[in-house]
Amino acid sequence: MVRCQPSAMRAIIEHAEEGYPAEVCGLLLGRQAEQGCTVECALRARNLEPARARERYELDPRDYLRADEQARAQGLEIVGVYHSHPDHPARPSATDRERAWEGWRYLIVAVAAGRAQQVRAWRLAGEEFLEEPIAPGPPGEQPAGGPVPANRPGRHPW
Amino acid sequence: MAIVRIPTPLRSLVGGADEVEVAAANVREALEELSRRHEGLRERLLGPDGELRHFVNLYVGADDIRDRDGLETPLAERDVVSIVPAIAGGLPDVRALMAELRQRVREVSAEQVHELLRRPGPRPVLIDVREPDEVEQGMIPGALAIPRGLLEFRIEQAVPDRATPIVVHCASGGRSLLAADSLQRLGYRDVASMAGGYRAWEQAGYETTRPLRLSPAQRRRYLRHLAIPEVGEQGQLRLLGATVLLVGAGGLGCPAAYFLAAAGVGRLVIVDDDVVDETNLQRQILHTVDRIGQPKVDSARRQLLALNPDIEVVGVQQRLTSANVSELVAAADVVLDGSDNFPTRYLLNDACVLHRKPCVHGSVFRFEGQVTVFWPGRGPCYRCLYPAPPPPELAPSCAEAGVLGVLPGVIGLLEAVEVIKIILGQGEPLVGRLLTYDALRARFTELRTRRDPDCAYCGEGRPFPGFIDYEQFCASAGAGQPAAPAAR
Repeated sequence: MVRCQPSAMRAIIEHAEEGYPAEVCGLLLGRQAEQGCTVECALRARNLEPARARERYELDPRDYLRADEQARAQGLEIVGVYHSHPDHPARPSATDRERAWEGWRYLIVAVAAGRAQQVRAWRLAGEEFLEEPIAPGPPGEQPAGGPVPANRPGRHPW
Repeated sequence: MAIVRIPTPLRSLVGGADEVEVAAANVREALEELSRRHEGLRERLLGPDGELRHFVNLYVGADDIRDRDGLETPLAERDVVSIVPAIAGGLPDVRALMAELRQRVREVSAEQVHELLRRPGPRPVLIDVREPDEVEQGMIPGALAIPRGLLEFRIEQAVPDRATPIVVHCASGGRSLLAADSLQRLGYRDVASMAGGYRAWEQAGYETTRPLRLSPAQRRRYLRHLAIPEVGEQGQLRLLGATVLLVGAGGLGCPAAYFLAAAGVGRLVIVDDDVVDETNLQRQILHTVDRIGQPKVDSARRQLLALNPDIEVVGVQQRLTSANVSELVAAADVVLDGSDNFPTRYLLNDACVLHRKPCVHGSVFRFEGQVTVFWPGRGPCYRCLYPAPPPPELAPSCAEAGVLGVLPGVIGLLEAVEVIKIILGQGEPLVGRLLTYDALRARFTELRTRRDPDCAYCGEGRPFPGFIDYEQFCASAGAGQPAAPAAR
């Protein structure tokens, strides 16, 4: 279970939609929890592959360093990465799997025609990616995640 | 002491700590010290060559060590070394896609394919999925060229049986992986992709060929053939590359030759020693009034080339004899028997048995005709059916018995159809079957014919007895033997 602050989820979706049709990426700051983790905030990062930004991202390590500083300052840690899949499902690709680190959460935003369609969370377990449900905000609330309603342009369930 | 900051994914290896203090003069020493203390860390950070793995970045303060002295970058007291995991991903790229396909698609080497195609027995269908302009530069002999983009639409026609073993190849082995995967999705159960593609085949020094192509004019002329899946460009090229020996430019040979020429059979060799006679014109449609008295082969050649100048017509104005038959039959792909006498039929049969050439046989008598294919090794030969000719008085010729003019047209064209089927390798030739036509009743009848295991000429394992004196053989024909039908 990934518990994600609504403000963090909004930031991720805005970033993904803004960047479309390029692929965007960022870091998730939060805490490791007994089961899964919490995401307190999301920080944008630069993509080092601007020429191939439609289908690749390589997160700028300097943005990682900044995020790491911020996390330490707030008593948080980097718990994962988010990135968008422009015109592609929110499932990890073979490239994603090859480059993933065990222990981190990977949030993938599917964006079509400039609108976020779906956000899904994944965790590498051995060679496989396992999906984890996403729940908003403080513990105790219902898991949400799933499709972003397409009939409410500009509004998100977060 | 320097401080090493550990990223979340590696913290489990250092007991959950987010940073570790080490005494080290440079980055390499710091990593060595860390690795000594924490098992499993070294291989995450350093490759077997002792260098930093490409998916790990190390920063001293805000500086990437790659921009300084690499692993030898010196460390001062309280310097902060950050281990920064490279974070990357994205949509599937072609390399990742290929890797994924290799999990699902079996790959075979060019050497294996070469071996598969050479060995006797059932061979896989080799499909070349490159684009036409690539294929034109050279291809593997026997490969079926279907461009990648059309593969799914054409495969069912080309390979109807989903169990047929298929090997797909392209230029270097990438497109063929996609193609093979697609064929598997369509239900083909035995599909492989040739690793390295045509390049690997060429580099191995195996035989290649340049494919023949139809010219634009040929494409127009044979357009109706190209539309038939069983013919298509490859089939038309086979027809254009084929040689057919026509024995006789008479009642059967004329209509057959006319349509074989129209169909684009590339080389027609016509043997006939006769000249055009006024009585021929009732049925021998290649000849004309103004060519009466001319050699039939010359007359036929003119008419055939007027219809199709794209082909070659060779006239041999000779009687078929033991002296010339072997050379003529050996050079042919298919023989069409339009002869009007028994000595020629037996002679032709014996030569076809000797050279194992299919002989399409036809004969007519008044309102009746028959047609069959004698294909040595696959079915009976003429002698299996008729070990001896009939006595001359029971075998009247056309001149004596007469024939409905259109009848040799019908039978000659049935022969032409069989010739084309044999060249194309399509359908079921009339091997082991005799088709008779009764024009008065308008009835076709099919009779089964059997191979005689003890046939003096085509019996398995028998040495060829040699040509005989056929005139004498037919003249002395007597009772007690099944007689060959009278016909012309």
